[in-house]
Amino acid sequence: MSEARDLALAEVEPGMVLAEAVVDGAGQVLLPAATALTDSHLTSLRRRGIATLRITPPADPLAEAAALAGERDRMRARVMYLFRNTADNPASQALLHAVLAFREGKPG
Amino acid sequence: MSQPTLDDTIRHIHRLPAMPAVALELLDTLSRGDPDVDAMARHIAQDQAIAARVLRVANSPFYGLQARIGSIRDAIVVLGFSAVRSLVLAAAVVRALPAVSHAGFVPERFWRHVLGTAVAAQALARALGRPPEKLFLTGLLHDIGILVMVSAYPEHFARVVALATERDCHLEDVETEVFSFDHASVGAALARHWNFPEDIVDALAGHHQPERAGSGGMAAVIHYADAIAIALDLDGRDNNQVPKLDLDAVNALGLDWTTLIEVLAETQARFDSYLPMLR
Repeated sequence: MSEARDLALAEVEPGMVLAEAVVDGAGQVLLPAATALTDSHLTSLRRRGIATLRITPPADPLAEAAALAGERDRMRARVMYLFRNTADNPASQALLHAVLAFREGKPG
Repeated sequence: MSQPTLDDTIRHIHRLPAMPAVALELLDTLSRGDPDVDAMARHIAQDQAIAARVLRVANSPFYGLQARIGSIRDAIVVLGFSAVRSLVLAAAVVRALPAVSHAGFVPERFWRHVLGTAVAAQALARALGRPPEKLFLTGLLHDIGILVMVSAYPEHFARVVALATERDCHLEDVETEVFSFDHASVGAALARHWNFPEDIVDALAGHHQPERAGSGGMAAVIHYADAIAIALDLDGRDNNQVPKLDLDAVNALGLDWTTLIEVLAETQARFDSYLPMLR
């Protein structure tokens, strides 16, 4: 994932997410990190004279899906290896399927 | 290399440290009702090595407590006597059995595996509506025979590991070629030497052959818990492998799919919380 970037307040759009907390001159936290910004946040920050915000980069769904698939493949390969000598054993095979479902977060 | 007999190995058991007195007292309270909780709290607190391990786990994020638990008394008030009793017994076992690295034997992996089995047995017990503590303890002890073998005959044990690696099989499949017995039988002998209850001794003896120990019994739960700990990769040993499960023993437990997934989730979460026990 790419780095967080600093944006002038005028360039910030509602829906963007803060990479770090916004702090006023006295050190008071105005908005915590990870806040998804709204119109009223932006108006209020403008009124308080905040000039720039550090914003998290937009997510890249394709890259994230590819990374997840890599992780999922590695997980599956390891589980299959652990069960490598149980192909003829129905009770062990049932456990194998439960472990895969659990690892993939499927309730059933 | 001559083949050590079970008698030779049992003579070695007599040189192993005794179980701490406080663990034996607690063990006794497993079968008797109404323990004197105040007296037990004082006894546990006197064994500082055990008390420290218990407090490390009680303060792990798993329990999600706001305030730090500073004493065994507080731990009992907050977590309950039976949770603390399990933790004390676990700490006593870890401390009583000095595990030294030898060729083919990594103590940390050993302890991670038995702790994983103990936690899985506890999760299975809850799902099956059985008392969890005794199964937790039995899971923790299920492979102690391996510790006896490796400490009495490290070279023979290294040969067992080498054979199992070469043939890609389980230790118990080759143990009797090198020793004249397997880790289940010597583990049962050690548990008997420590005056553990007879049902624990039987479950240790039968955890690889639960059909011989009677279906639905503690041996069957440990048999399954052992496989769950390996299936979840809790000890992380590279060439580990899940055993072939005894279908009748597993079916007799009668777990449905949803419950099994819950058991896996609980095992994973609790295992992480118990790890501070090993440090």
